[in-house]
Amino acid sequence: MRLVAAEVLKIRRRRGLMIWSLLLTIGAVLVTQIIIIALHAANPDHYGAAGGRANLEGYTALLALLGSVAAIVIGATAGTQDVSNGVFRDLVVTGRPRSTLFSVRVPGALLIFLPMLAIGFVLAIGVTYGFAGDRPTPSTSYVWHSIAYAVSLTVVNLIIAIGLASFMSSRIVVGVLIAWNTIIAHLLLGIDVIGRVRKLIDIAAAEHFSPAINDNNQISMSDTTALLVLVGWAVVFFVAGRWWTQRRDA
Amino acid sequence: METVIETRALTKRFGDRAAVDGVDLVVPAGVAFGFLGPNGAGKTTMIRTLLGLTKASSGEVSLLGLPQPAKRREALARVGAIVEEPRFHPHLTGRENLRIVAAARDVAADGRIDESLARVGLAQRADDRVKTYSLGMRQRLGIARCLLADPQLLILDEPMNGLDPAGILEMRHLIRAFVEEGRTVFLSSHLLDEVEKTCDQVAIVDRGRVILQGGVRDIAATGDPTVLIDVDDTEAARRILTAEARITAVEQEGTELRIRLSDGIGAADVNRALVQAGVAVSRLEPARATLEEKFLEVTSRLEGNE
Repeated sequence: MRLVAAEVLKIRRRRGLMIWSLLLTIGAVLVTQIIIIALHAANPDHYGAAGGRANLEGYTALLALLGSVAAIVIGATAGTQDVSNGVFRDLVVTGRPRSTLFSVRVPGALLIFLPMLAIGFVLAIGVTYGFAGDRPTPSTSYVWHSIAYAVSLTVVNLIIAIGLASFMSSRIVVGVLIAWNTIIAHLLLGIDVIGRVRKLIDIAAAEHFSPAINDNNQISMSDTTALLVLVGWAVVFFVAGRWWTQRRDA
Repeated sequence: METVIETRALTKRFGDRAAVDGVDLVVPAGVAFGFLGPNGAGKTTMIRTLLGLTKASSGEVSLLGLPQPAKRREALARVGAIVEEPRFHPHLTGRENLRIVAAARDVAADGRIDESLARVGLAQRADDRVKTYSLGMRQRLGIARCLLADPQLLILDEPMNGLDPAGILEMRHLIRAFVEEGRTVFLSSHLLDEVEKTCDQVAIVDRGRVILQGGVRDIAATGDPTVLIDVDDTEAARRILTAEARITAVEQEGTELRIRLSDGIGAADVNRALVQAGVAVSRLEPARATLEEKFLEVTSRLEGNE
């Protein structure tokens, strides 16, 4: 627990990172809501209410996309900061196993990221029901599936970022993972020839949990398959990061 | 004799190059031990290998009597080390940086943070971000980080690097104080003078090999005794002394002659020979051999052998 608290401290004290992460999660939802509420107040005939199921879809998509960016940046920072600041060797000479020094990065980064995502969802759900007006509100199941989608996608991205950044000892993974999430994975999903192999793409598996996307999703899979694919991605990159952390010169 | 570091045939290779080449090293407990060598001699690689930061290619290492890497965790729990320059998270304060490392050590380490900061004179600046610290302050914070382990052995890599004269003096006092507390300090340095002033024992290393090892004074005193003399007629004195077979070298430095004696001849014999030849001797003084001379002697001998 003390090591996890130390990881949290290292990330929490990075002012720039914290501000950007808050903006990408809570800030993005809040600003969107303020704009929609203001537009609705100014012209209710032309602009709908800020709540309801349709808007929850939008807030969830925002949290999944921008939340992933925040998760990637936080994960890459957690994965590289000890090495890039030259402190890793000082932690190694305490005698703590390198595998432990690596592993604690995951709960440390999650403890920073998940509260932001949670507050983002509290705002989203609060407005979904509180400002629904005459719009239909989502069922509880719909809400839980929306949360499952955003959490699974962002958490897997965070673990991938930690593993890949530790493996490569470089924050270039931020660019690589953002490109994967926003462009490359979607291009691959659009190539029909690949067929069922597309199930192995993490975004396809995460989208399986999204009630909004899953209705029209061409890549159908079972809950178990989706879960296994997501866990597989996280495990592969976690193991790669841990392996290199154990092996590298400190 | 209790030893804190012991290596046998320790070797670290990078490709064909041996940065540490079959080193047998014995560091006794309770001393300041200097690991002296020119830049690039393999001092830092040796330290990194001792601490398990890099894997040895072959050979054996024992720290605090515990074989490495088998008993790594037990040994390192009582070892504090600064490898190369002390590095920290610049966005954290000095105290926070110590908290990070204390978290990786036993619970008691948390309770040593304030004490360690006070010990190195950083209590007043402990809550400032490390990026505002001078190099000297970072060196001291590095020492404070070592003290979190309440170490039996401190391994300090070039601890005087970048320090001003006051900082060097302060570091020397700190190291001697650690030794007086019964700790062992193993420090690497290329600063001969500092090793001579700070350390009790020394190993001279060059090109990955330990050339000499022993007490600082013993090493400095090895070799032929040297005397310095002032005379009224330098030329005559040189002629007389050069003719004496038991005198191995006669060098002139200004008006002073530096002569090296072999077994069977002493300073009194030199004096008698000069006086009997009519040369007046105004000064005759045994030269204090320095570690620097010994260091240059052994390293230049190596170069000559190439």
